[in-house]
Amino acid sequence: MNNVTKKWLFLKASSVVLIPLMTWFILSLISVFDKDYIDVVKFFSNQPSKFLVSLLLVFAYFFSALSISEVFEDYIQDEKIKNAAKKALNIFAIIIPLTTIIIIFNLTT
Amino acid sequence: MDNNNPLSPHIQIYRWHISSLVSISHRITGIINIVAITVICFWIASLLLGETSYEFTKILLNSIFGKFIILSLTWSFSFQMLSEIRHLIMDLGYSFELKTTKITGLIVIIGSFVLTVLIYLLGKQII
Repeated sequence: MNNVTKKWLFLKASSVVLIPLMTWFILSLISVFDKDYIDVVKFFSNQPSKFLVSLLLVFAYFFSALSISEVFEDYIQDEKIKNAAKKALNIFAIIIPLTTIIIIFNLTT
Repeated sequence: MDNNNPLSPHIQIYRWHISSLVSISHRITGIINIVAITVICFWIASLLLGETSYEFTKILLNSIFGKFIILSLTWSFSFQMLSEIRHLIMDLGYSFELKTTKITGLIVIIGSFVLTVLIYLLGKQII
């Protein structure tokens, strides 16, 4: 199996996982976004939310890194710029979710 | 080494169809969604600063602008989900006929607005 096929399969598998996670998250976000500080912290620090938000972040950034790299592939011709953009994207897709997951697991009410 | 792979044609030379509208919107909402998720990550990080620092965020989220942003985000997420389902169906080899692609494209566009209202009402426990 070549790399392009693997990338496509990872994209599809992550999109299947993301659809229910996004539905749950947007429903939860609407129920909590305008609440008090303590309610928001309670939401993010309960066990199911910690687990599901972490899962959502990992898959969302993984999916985005793969799909945005496709956009770079389509619209950037210069190889150096393209590779630099892809590297920056991958670093961003690791640091942001990882930091947020650490924060979520350190939140206490 | 020169890369002679063709780039995608510039979008302004296309004659717009429902499929092309859904396709470009899928990419745009994908970028909006990841930017939004990043903002949400910063929102979560801001919780570490404590209750007093959260007051400004609370006022912002409770304003009409805040509610508009949340509603727009709901639409963007809804569109992305429906469009992704459409892609998955096409990946299974269905819905390639011109008429069917137009119908599924319309379902994605109209469905995203219906789903936005439904998700908002469910999230607010109105229904």
